[in-house]
Amino acid sequence: MEEEEKIKPQAVIEILDDGPLVISGNFILKDLKRETESTPGEVKLCLCGKTSTRPFCDESHNK
Amino acid sequence: MERDKSLSGNREYTNGEITVYWKPVACVHASYCYRELIEVFDPSSRPWVDMKGAPTARIIEVVNMCPTEALTWKWNDEEKNTAIDINQTNHIKFRRPELLKETGKNRGEEPVSVKVMIDGPIVIKGSFTLVSKGNTKDIKQGLISICRCGASDQLPFCDGRHRKVGYTD
Ligand code: SF4
Ligand code: FES
Ligand code: FES
Repeated sequence: MEEEEKIKPQAVIEILDDGPLVISGNFILKDLKRETESTPGEVKLCLCGKTSTRPFCDESHNK
Repeated sequence: MERDKSLSGNREYTNGEITVYWKPVACVHASYCYRELIEVFDPSSRPWVDMKGAPTARIIEVVNMCPTEALTWKWNDEEKNTAIDINQTNHIKFRRPELLKETGKNRGEEPVSVKVMIDGPIVIKGSFTLVSKGNTKDIKQGLISICRCGASDQLPFCDGRHRKVGYTD
């Protein structure tokens, strides 16, 4: 119970309608296909599939 | 990012990927560390450990050479610290297990793990705030998979359909 109390959300994960997944805060991003690992602090990941910079959003979802 | 923080006479240094602990009282000046890697361990500069001086793998290698517990290390990603091979002699698990417990105390502040799976969803694990369709929800020690292929019947979550539709990155 006490353990539970101490747990604070470390990041905000926002799913934008018809847009990317926006993550900010304390997180570690791992891309298994491209074998990268980073702690960017804020990132937009493509959910629409149209981007040319996977896994990131390049705003192509607007087109 | 470099940190030089006093902790009862001890110090810790990080490059974001690993943290190196320095316990001066245990140093016997066998000097392996600076003979091996002066770019990182330079007793003539302050702070004497420069985490930008070499790649992570090399720093780990040299820290493992220290004959005492003066130099120890751990991964910053706590998940990785659970399965450490015995030949990583100077991992804190073997030399200074008391530090492992200490990091356990900060459990509530572990970074969220975000994994972009191969040809699949984004798997998010940890404690975070989820905002979706105007709803905000705090999730504690949770796990969610967000669909990237668009074919899921459970959007925004993945229901495994990416395999059926043959989604590729
Ligand atoms: S190798 Fe270890 S004991 Fe030797 S000088 Fe470096 S820190 Fe001290
Ligand atoms: S969500 Fe922005 S390019 Fe796909
Ligand atoms: S990524 Fe799994 S259903 Fe879309």
